[in-house]
Amino acid sequence: MTVWEKLRPYGMVAPAIIIFSLFFIYPIFYMIYLSMFDWNFVSPTKTFVGLQNFKDLLTEPDFRQVLTNTTIYTVLTVTLTTGIALLLALWLNRKSFFHGFVQGAIFSPHIISLVSISLLWSWLMDPEYGLLNWVIGLAGFGKLEWLSHPSTSLISLVMVAVWKGLGYNALVFIAGLQSIPADIYEAASLDRSKPWTTFTKLILPMLSPTIFFLVIINMIGSFQVFETIAIMTQGGPVNSTNTLVYYIYEYGFRFFKIGYASAAGVILLFIVGILTMIYFKLLSNRVHYR
Amino acid sequence: MVKKLTALSLAIFMVVVLAACGSNGTTGKNGSTDNANSGAKAESTDSAASEKIVIKYWYAFGDKIEEAKLHMVKGFNESQDKIEVIAEHQGGYDDLHAKVQAAFAAGDAPAVSDLEIASTGVFARSGMLQELTVYAERDKDQLQLEDFNPGLMGNAYVDDKLFGLPFMRSTPILYKNVTMLKDAGLDPEGPKTWDELEQYSRVLKEKGKIGMTVPADIWFYEALVAQSGGQMLSEDGKSAAFNTPEGVAPVEFWKKLSSEGLIKIPVGDEAGATADKDWANQMSAFKFASTAGVTGSLEIAKGNGFELVTAFMPSNVSYGVPTGGCQLVMTSKSTEEEKEAAWEFIKWMTSKENTIYQHKHVGYLPTRLSAVESEELKTHFAENPQFKVAVDQLEYARPRPMENAYPEVTKIVKEAIEKAILDPKTAPQDALNAAAEKANKLLSK
Repeated sequence: MTVWEKLRPYGMVAPAIIIFSLFFIYPIFYMIYLSMFDWNFVSPTKTFVGLQNFKDLLTEPDFRQVLTNTTIYTVLTVTLTTGIALLLALWLNRKSFFHGFVQGAIFSPHIISLVSISLLWSWLMDPEYGLLNWVIGLAGFGKLEWLSHPSTSLISLVMVAVWKGLGYNALVFIAGLQSIPADIYEAASLDRSKPWTTFTKLILPMLSPTIFFLVIINMIGSFQVFETIAIMTQGGPVNSTNTLVYYIYEYGFRFFKIGYASAAGVILLFIVGILTMIYFKLLSNRVHYR
Repeated sequence: MVKKLTALSLAIFMVVVLAACGSNGTTGKNGSTDNANSGAKAESTDSAASEKIVIKYWYAFGDKIEEAKLHMVKGFNESQDKIEVIAEHQGGYDDLHAKVQAAFAAGDAPAVSDLEIASTGVFARSGMLQELTVYAERDKDQLQLEDFNPGLMGNAYVDDKLFGLPFMRSTPILYKNVTMLKDAGLDPEGPKTWDELEQYSRVLKEKGKIGMTVPADIWFYEALVAQSGGQMLSEDGKSAAFNTPEGVAPVEFWKKLSSEGLIKIPVGDEAGATADKDWANQMSAFKFASTAGVTGSLEIAKGNGFELVTAFMPSNVSYGVPTGGCQLVMTSKSTEEEKEAAWEFIKWMTSKENTIYQHKHVGYLPTRLSAVESEELKTHFAENPQFKVAVDQLEYARPRPMENAYPEVTKIVKEAIEKAILDPKTAPQDALNAAAEKANKLLSK
């Protein structure tokens, strides 16, 4: 074996490894390093403060609210998106022009840039001039404040996220439904299984890997929500829509406290890391039918 | 199938790569032959091009403001052949600041940038800005530093060192729909005080309108605190002063008027836009807005068929406003040569002629006393009195606080105001006390 033959595999993976280390591994460690300093990114003096940033963060009531907001947002977005998408998929899982059209229509938000979507919904949700309040008014109900009041702002953002995510989720569900072998259905119908029983005892278990995949992917995505918040509410009113990633941005790039922002970033990394670990753990030994 | 696809994509990939290599090769060759052939001539043009210093200038905002800035940059580039300024748009002030900071950390900052005045402190103290004192001293005959309106110089100095020159500066003013006031039988001269504003709003409400739509903006709040005779921060800047009676009065006032439906206080990201729309659609008679909007608002008033008059913001115990807008600053990591070029550019942009131009084009304040005194502006003011109000109001103007923690403090205060107004159970005093406690922690560091 020549030297070249020994080195060749390393040479082959080197580009990928270099890019991965440079743009993923190094920033993560740099962030962890920065989270222990008091620094504004440019000043020549960096002050080492140890775990003070974490202590400040965890005792800061605003940060606790940010965590609560993020959790509420995630739970609502994930349950609503996967729930509605599953129902839609059950309905759309047949071949006809109409069903194909509906499927295409609900998928279309997925390919539009989130920035455009945010601007669009800001207009729709304008309390005075927006289309939504006009429609509600026609139906004879009072105006809603949408993004302009702490009691409705977060749920308004959830609405946008669900609208955007529905198509993709439904598509994955349909794929999952179609991969269920037809003979199982046949067996069920021979046994005169009622539709509800077929759904709970057959479809749901067979779909569980898909459901699980979507729940985790949506969860990780929701934890990192940023664009809609930056464009539609900037965390307000009264901090009611401030979430983890926007909070990090705000402290890093508006108040120039990069150490503090990095500490929040480490916490985000920690949370998303745990979610991912649960995902792989459960995927490997629980959700399995074949 | 899969195999075919891979083969196909590989083929495409190779064609692309080869094509790229090929074209590189040919230009390389051509380039070298050209150089070899043309000799002395090419060299002389090369050196002329390298003598011309190219610097970047980053600016904020679009529309009329952008038009004015680009027009002046163009004028500068055409006025001489030594320096070429490339102007680049960077969004609003927050975006601009974040980008300048990131670019500075990466060693690629623009030589000159707009900088919102309240952020001068943070930027200067972290060493990102070049001190201008030496340049100003050297060119004092040409620069005429004392010609700048003293009311605008408060934010130009940080710890007694000059860091910026007033560029597109503003104060908030009151925009009045006089047609609406006359229809309601109100004296178009007012309202001059908070009480009058309340009375006017009551009359307007009876007519099915509202007095004003005003976002709980920190800049307007600063104005109302000044009008009540208060301060945002203590003299030394180490503690909050907005939870005093003078700081609570504006929130009480806003809360009272909005709870009675006399004014509307939208919150959220669209609040400013909502206020403008309500005013433009003649749902509200008044709006607070920067003097930067005079030209634009005059066009709206003309288009919608109503008469616009501008006035001082109403007083509580006295008149008072913060100044706002941006100044031009130089970043500190450029070469000496670039700094000289940047200084020439800053002098050009803040000259008497250009401050007159941008004032007429946009509505920002004329920053120089000689500009205000000039025949050109005197005629302009006589024809368009709406422009003069902000200049006169400067007598009551004050600088914005420049403490490092101030941007964060404004966020805390804004949240407290919104909370006090939106939640009937929260007393303004309590909300501001809680905000002051948080702010003190940040300011005392």
